[in-house]
Amino acid sequence: MLSQTHKIVLALLFSATEPLTKSQVDICLEEDVDLVQIIADLNQYLETEGLPVWIQLVAGGYRLMTRAEYEPWLTRLFQNKGKLRLSRSALETLAIIAYKQPVTKSEIDAIRGVDTSLRPLVEKNLIKINGRQEGPGRPLLYGTTDHFLEHFGLASLKDLPQVKELAEIAGEDNPLPDIVEQDATE
Amino acid sequence: MSYNVKLSVYEGPLDLLLFFIKRDEINIYDIPIAHITNEYLNYLKLMQSMNLQLAGEFILMASILIRIKVQMLLPRPEYEKLEDIEDPRTELVQMLIEYQKYKEIGEQLKQLEEIQSRYFPVALASKLHNYDPELFLGDISLIELGLTFQQILDQMPKVEMVNLEMMKVNIRQQILFLRECLKKRSRIRFSEIAAKLKDRLEVVVTFLAILEMIKSMEISVSQKDIFGEIWLTKKKTGQDNALSNT
Repeated sequence: MLSQTHKIVLALLFSATEPLTKSQVDICLEEDVDLVQIIADLNQYLETEGLPVWIQLVAGGYRLMTRAEYEPWLTRLFQNKGKLRLSRSALETLAIIAYKQPVTKSEIDAIRGVDTSLRPLVEKNLIKINGRQEGPGRPLLYGTTDHFLEHFGLASLKDLPQVKELAEIAGEDNPLPDIVEQDATE
Repeated sequence: MSYNVKLSVYEGPLDLLLFFIKRDEINIYDIPIAHITNEYLNYLKLMQSMNLQLAGEFILMASILIRIKVQMLLPRPEYEKLEDIEDPRTELVQMLIEYQKYKEIGEQLKQLEEIQSRYFPVALASKLHNYDPELFLGDISLIELGLTFQQILDQMPKVEMVNLEMMKVNIRQQILFLRECLKKRSRIRFSEIAAKLKDRLEVVVTFLAILEMIKSMEISVSQKDIFGEIWLTKKKTGQDNALSNT
């Protein structure tokens, strides 16, 4: 059986429209809870009871999600409006921005070898402008959003896919493996 | 033999070069520049022969390849030590490797997206639509609308003998007719309307009336699949303009 605290957390998860963070839970419960343990218990409970939902750690918070097997019905319910699939060039561009942020458009273009249109990604709230780079022209700097993490089911930027070369230089204090510097030293 | 042109879409010149490298199992650190330049230029010729607009980046890469080829052909001064000579390909190789990294990450992101797309958040702030399987419609293009129109025209009885008659229909009249149809139901199939029409001329004029009403935002059209049923939907706003243009 679930404790009262567990039930409250589950209620919060049910009604939250964005990932629920530990600090939000602490404020609601007016105490410092072991949220990781509670979520693990709840997931265990949802699993053993055979319920169609589970709790995912995404974009720095917890979110109640339907299980994958119910996708066909949910797709119909939302009439394909719920999910967007990105094009290959959009994915490539996002990959560059995710690893090199904050990054300018000209840096992105240099890597891809083509002129990249960033506006659609901004409009889809996958990337955002993070100020301007100091220097000539003061170009805009781009970075990924929380929605980007949600779209790909990532808990944080540390969970981005690792590529061989990237894995070697990714340190504890450096959540964003930076490839520029590696190239600059060559 | 049927003539099929299969042209993959490349995101840019680097993508195209990586394709050749993979296809011909080339060592990326030792690219046979003459071979790859030939392949590359052939591809550009193919694109040009098909009247495809070449992006400037493709031309730029062609000039980079040719420059490297020339640099490799030029004799080097004898006094230079071997290790002092930089391989003219180095810069290109670095670009390719860098690009390939992100291309791979992009593919991994695709997989993550695929997985994540199967979960739906429980409290999603998204409006639900009326649950009616017929209503799972996408926007249609003008061409598809035209094709359906053509189908309906083909279904009209063929006239063997031509009688010249006075034109009895006009767009104005058909707009009023369509409004009448949409009064009872806010959504109606194009084929239902067409069934009420007598001849080609009426279909043509009704079609023009529909276009007029789309333009004035009085109705919208949607279609589920190509050649599928076209639905006319009454919009809540923007009425009364269609008649003014007729």
